[in-house]
Amino acid sequence: MINEMLLNFAHWLEAQSYSQMLVAGYYSYSWLEATHVLTLMLSIGSLFIIDFRMMGWMLTDVPASKLAERLNKPMLIGFTIMFITGALLVYAKPVETVQSLWFRIKMILLLLAFINAWVFNARLKAAAGSWDNDAVAPKAIRIGAIISLCLWCGVVTLGRYIPYDWVDCAITNNTTILWAAGCVDQLQALQ
Amino acid sequence: MLNSMLGQYRRTIILVVVFLLIAILEVLEVRTTIYGNSLPFFEWMKNSSWLGIIGTTYGSVYATIEAVHLLSMAVIGGTVLATDLRLLGVVLTDIPSETLTRGTHKVFRNALICAIATGIFCAAGVADKVYYMPVFWVKMLALVAGGCFVFLVKQPLLNSMPHSEINPWTIRLLATTSILVWFTVAAAGRWIGFS
Amino acid sequence: MSNEKKWGDLEIAAVGSAVIIMGSLLFYWVLEIESMLELLELAYGSAKLFNNPLVY
Repeated sequence: MINEMLLNFAHWLEAQSYSQMLVAGYYSYSWLEATHVLTLMLSIGSLFIIDFRMMGWMLTDVPASKLAERLNKPMLIGFTIMFITGALLVYAKPVETVQSLWFRIKMILLLLAFINAWVFNARLKAAAGSWDNDAVAPKAIRIGAIISLCLWCGVVTLGRYIPYDWVDCAITNNTTILWAAGCVDQLQALQ
Repeated sequence: MLNSMLGQYRRTIILVVVFLLIAILEVLEVRTTIYGNSLPFFEWMKNSSWLGIIGTTYGSVYATIEAVHLLSMAVIGGTVLATDLRLLGVVLTDIPSETLTRGTHKVFRNALICAIATGIFCAAGVADKVYYMPVFWVKMLALVAGGCFVFLVKQPLLNSMPHSEINPWTIRLLATTSILVWFTVAAAGRWIGFS
Repeated sequence: MSNEKKWGDLEIAAVGSAVIIMGSLLFYWVLEIESMLELLELAYGSAKLFNNPLVY
């Protein structure tokens, strides 16, 4: 049901002239992709510095909450750019992306990462001031940092997998994968 | 006399010598000779070395290593941006820049080692292609220049004295160059994928 | 910093290498942008970055 809806929506997007223009333009798609990837340095870069500080791996002589607070803005700028370019990349190739298993897992991980960031922030605020100058953060916050590191590593890895075609609709016959990837037509053909 | 001068201006002299050497080698067309003769090495990398064989046989391994390469790039970029934008007075202005340059350097170095190691693997898998790409060689040149710049010049200077004693324009120049050089390395890397 | 302070070895080397590296990188990027614009002009007859090839 939801797979059909997503596919119809993707077909509708793909029919738009701006979507086709983004793919067919001489540089437009490459530039979008390059911006998306290079902005990792700003978004994930800032985020990992904060997480590394919580783990006590770097900048242990800087108050942790200060570092997290000051790096928040560049990090959010980075994530905003990533979100906009990412949305445009999906808009440029909607059908392929919607039917990509990797893209779907990536979105789930992203969702988990944002939930984790929210919980992490709440914990950070609750513990404010009590451990700021310690080299290593309290256990609850360290767990949040480790989860955040793992989830974002996963997001980047899956993002890298998207252009590869190992489990493309046309290649797989496994019904579970076909369902998970939303390959509506192939599933119908098998049934 | 010469000895004391050499001691006092060691790095400057080395810098001048290196650039003279590059100029002479360029005139003697050493670069083009090396380029012409290195093709067999690149072909061996792709077809015969185990790096190339793993990279071309197992697509999933290759993509995963690529992702690790990207993650190292993110960490490099993060530390470079945090440190150099601090030196330019854009971010983290209430944290001493000395603390930041010292504190981020180790992580930067480890991420760079990781990026180079994974980068060799990624390049080996497409060695016969990257050999013909100017942008690949630009990346390698920028990488060497950036590495020498950071480890031999920038870091020693910034660690040698309080930053308030260094000419602010020198610091700005160093920070801008560092951002530009690492941006070039990353952007050229992304462009290798498109070429 | 006082202007009378003598420039140390490290500072000269740093400024020198920074100027050389930055100069060559800027030179490279300007050339790169120039060739990109030329290619776009060849492709579309104008240097519009996001041309619509369907309309063209």
